[in-house]
Amino acid sequence: MTKFIIRRLVQAIPTFFGITLLSYMIMLASPSDPVALMTNDPSFSQQEKAAMAARMGINDPWPLQYFRWLVGDDWLRWDSDGDGISDRSFLIALDANGDGVAEPPGDRRGILRGDFGKSFSFREDSLKLIGQFLPATLELNVIVLIVSLALGIPIGILAAVWRGGAFDNGSRIIAVIGDAIPVFWLGIILIIVFGSGGQWLDILPMGGRCGVTRGDCPPVYLRLEYLVLPTLVLALGGVAGYSRYMRAAMLETISSDYVRTARAKGLTTQAVWFKHGFRNAMIPLATFLGPTITGLLGGSAITETIFSWPGVGRLLVRATTSLDYPLVMAGVVVGAVLTIIGYLLSDILYAVFDPRIRF
Amino acid sequence: MKRIFAFLVMLMTVILLGTLMIPALAQDGDYPPGPEGAGEGGTIIDYYFGDDPSTFNPILASDSASLAVTGLFYPAIVGIDPVTGEPAPNLPGSVAESWEYDETSTILTVNLRQDLFWNDGTPITAADYVYATSAVRSGVTSSPRTSMFETLDDGTPAGGKIVSIEAADDYTVVITFTEADCTAFNDINDVSLVPAHIFSELYGTDYALMDEDPRALPTVTFGQWKDLEFAPAERYSVIADQSYPDTLLGFVSPGEYVAQNVPDTNVAVERLLAGDLTYGVVPANRQAEFRGNSDFQVFEADANSYVYIGFNLADPTNPQNGVDENGELIDQGLHPIFGDPAVRIALTHGIDIDGIVAGVLQGNGTRINTHTYPLNWVQAELEPRLFDPALASQLLEEAGWVDDDDDTATPRVCQGCLYATEVDAAFEGSPMSFTLITNAGNTIREQIGEVADQQWADIGVEVDFQAIDFGVVLEQTGAQTFDSYILGWGLGLPVNPSADGIFNVESDIVNDGFNSYSYYNEEYEELIDAGSTVAGCDVEERRAIYERIQTIFYEQQPVIFLYSGKTMAVAQNWVQGWNPVQWAAAHDNDAWVITPD
Repeated sequence: MTKFIIRRLVQAIPTFFGITLLSYMIMLASPSDPVALMTNDPSFSQQEKAAMAARMGINDPWPLQYFRWLVGDDWLRWDSDGDGISDRSFLIALDANGDGVAEPPGDRRGILRGDFGKSFSFREDSLKLIGQFLPATLELNVIVLIVSLALGIPIGILAAVWRGGAFDNGSRIIAVIGDAIPVFWLGIILIIVFGSGGQWLDILPMGGRCGVTRGDCPPVYLRLEYLVLPTLVLALGGVAGYSRYMRAAMLETISSDYVRTARAKGLTTQAVWFKHGFRNAMIPLATFLGPTITGLLGGSAITETIFSWPGVGRLLVRATTSLDYPLVMAGVVVGAVLTIIGYLLSDILYAVFDPRIRF
Repeated sequence: MKRIFAFLVMLMTVILLGTLMIPALAQDGDYPPGPEGAGEGGTIIDYYFGDDPSTFNPILASDSASLAVTGLFYPAIVGIDPVTGEPAPNLPGSVAESWEYDETSTILTVNLRQDLFWNDGTPITAADYVYATSAVRSGVTSSPRTSMFETLDDGTPAGGKIVSIEAADDYTVVITFTEADCTAFNDINDVSLVPAHIFSELYGTDYALMDEDPRALPTVTFGQWKDLEFAPAERYSVIADQSYPDTLLGFVSPGEYVAQNVPDTNVAVERLLAGDLTYGVVPANRQAEFRGNSDFQVFEADANSYVYIGFNLADPTNPQNGVDENGELIDQGLHPIFGDPAVRIALTHGIDIDGIVAGVLQGNGTRINTHTYPLNWVQAELEPRLFDPALASQLLEEAGWVDDDDDTATPRVCQGCLYATEVDAAFEGSPMSFTLITNAGNTIREQIGEVADQQWADIGVEVDFQAIDFGVVLEQTGAQTFDSYILGWGLGLPVNPSADGIFNVESDIVNDGFNSYSYYNEEYEELIDAGSTVAGCDVEERRAIYERIQTIFYEQQPVIFLYSGKTMAVAQNWVQGWNPVQWAAAHDNDAWVITPD
């Protein structure tokens, strides 16, 4: 197992660089210009725009930009005599914007040295920004996952046990509805109904993660009411998916030879369904549980927007539309690392759950 | 078996019940009614829907969210009258007591009030303004205001008119310009005063340090509010500062002002309707729900902005800057369709602007004929070009765009049009067809595009309307390769009636200027300078100059000016003391008493 994990981690290195390179190229292929988006105002002069572009380093060829993002630029343009003014450079011009004055010495260390760069829009370290928004995303998505699994798996099992019955048909209808309803519509409807639905239904906050006024943000267990509506919206699809998956897995397991053998041996129905059927039906679930768990960090941009939830999804969508390269790439790196870990976790879980699997 | 089934059913029941019970158990009560008094007038809950502020340092601020917050704590040197939108002395919360230009209009002396203090008791003086402007002029910060200066500290040309800003004494600021500048307030008000004693301690003259922590919370401030608390993507909150001397009641009534981040405007409107927010600005598509709604106090005003259809007047296949490095004009070529002013005027008659205002905007706008806001102090009397398809067709015929098959389903063709006559005879017979773009997601502009597409098609003009990503729109307009587009301008205060920076030839810079239309008019260029160099900055003389500019734009129609939208601010009817005015609906929020039922 240890060898397998090490081998997979080594294989992950080129995968990681491949993801970042591809993402960087796609991002820069956009015809838009982040400086144009930020300076769509006649009060910005040509010089100011040029200075901004030089500070951001977006006028360099894309391989150089990627290289700088990866390994920094503190060794590309530097101050050799300690007077605070750049006097040496390598690969890039001392005077990048052509105003006759050397640009300041490079101060970026690159992601390989832990520097993800400052967000263009928010002017803060990109990784730190993601870290600021992560707790809210985790808070919501962990509860969504728990509710989805806690409802979806039992519903799937019961639907399989009572196959063709009213419960099975009812759960199928609910699953289809849960998959089909768009979250933006359901979210707004729930806000209207529960947030402003009159005396009896006006029982839930209409958005946000904490109280309205300053300092009003107690621990999560004291403000669970803020989680109800977004959880309902997000978990509906999860419950639908898990219940249908679990039902299918249970039915497939139940019709297998070893289950028939178990029945022939005279085991009780309870033992057949739950000792043999349920446990074996859970094995394939492990294959996507890993990516699902790491996917918790990805956020749910639409739901976060509707419910004013300060999560990572909202942050990254905003970063993408405003061409905030450092923040987008920080999101890509976090996502790539988590995906790699997620799939590795999935493989390990598979081996743990299924004794036939050996690495 | 049955026990396990029962367990599973119970588990699901418990989760569902728990989900429903949690909110009932955890409900908050309504706001307690606040007695009227210092800081006891309740909490104002406002909202903002865009990005969070990127900085709380007014020297670095450029985005609207940052400017909204820094405006709470750091005063501008010259106040803008919330009723007229023009600079005025001795306004509450502003620093200038009076000002005068010298006889050449190149030296502006601003005398500061001597009764103002930062909330740590330090007097507000000229040094506070000089420190802030010195930081900008250093050129080492990310401040976007360097272009107000002629040169930066290191001698780099910055393109502005300000030669120096000096403190003649503690309460006198002297600003020297390279030439007379009657529009100076647009520049000098861009930089707010900061508490120099605090900023010097934090940064000294190493102004670049400001960018190390742009969201450092303000400590010493001036205004109705203080003690900023910020939760990213959630809210910012400030509390009453009773040391503020210019309150309307003699004290700040509300105890707290909160701006919540509500990124979806429809949700924000629902929250307003539900009483979840105290006050807010309502987007155009939801304003009708508040008119006549007895639960709200409603204030409507024309917005300080306009929407227009811009034309590329120059050859889109060969974009050129307006002038070369020596200031000499560069030949722009001619756009095959829009290069002819007669065509632009015909297209103006071919689109129902009043119908757009009444229909698409549901009446939430005012038609405009030129580039400034309808209530601006400069307002030439111009007859609107009314929707008249027959006249539009006739003008197009006269301009050499002919309906050769008497079928409006097919586009007109050039038969003696300007481009074929003056540029390329081979263009003869070409169809009248062009692309119109706007930014996707702006539903009003998208609907305007659809209207233009349909109505111009009715007069034999083929339009390929595309709603595309905003960044791509900017890329195409910047590159000057477009045919036409629908966008808008916010004008800022005080309004610059010369439209310098948008229509002047020096702003015709490929990929870098806002005169993407490549408009040039010699008289207009002269009038820009004339308007800002009037001796003593006489208002009447300047008005005449700017009204002439409006007339030139009307006659030449470089763009179709469509409308200025209406803004609507609403407050719950349990907000007492709200008296909104044209340019600052919430200017008096220090006097509000919030007493929900």
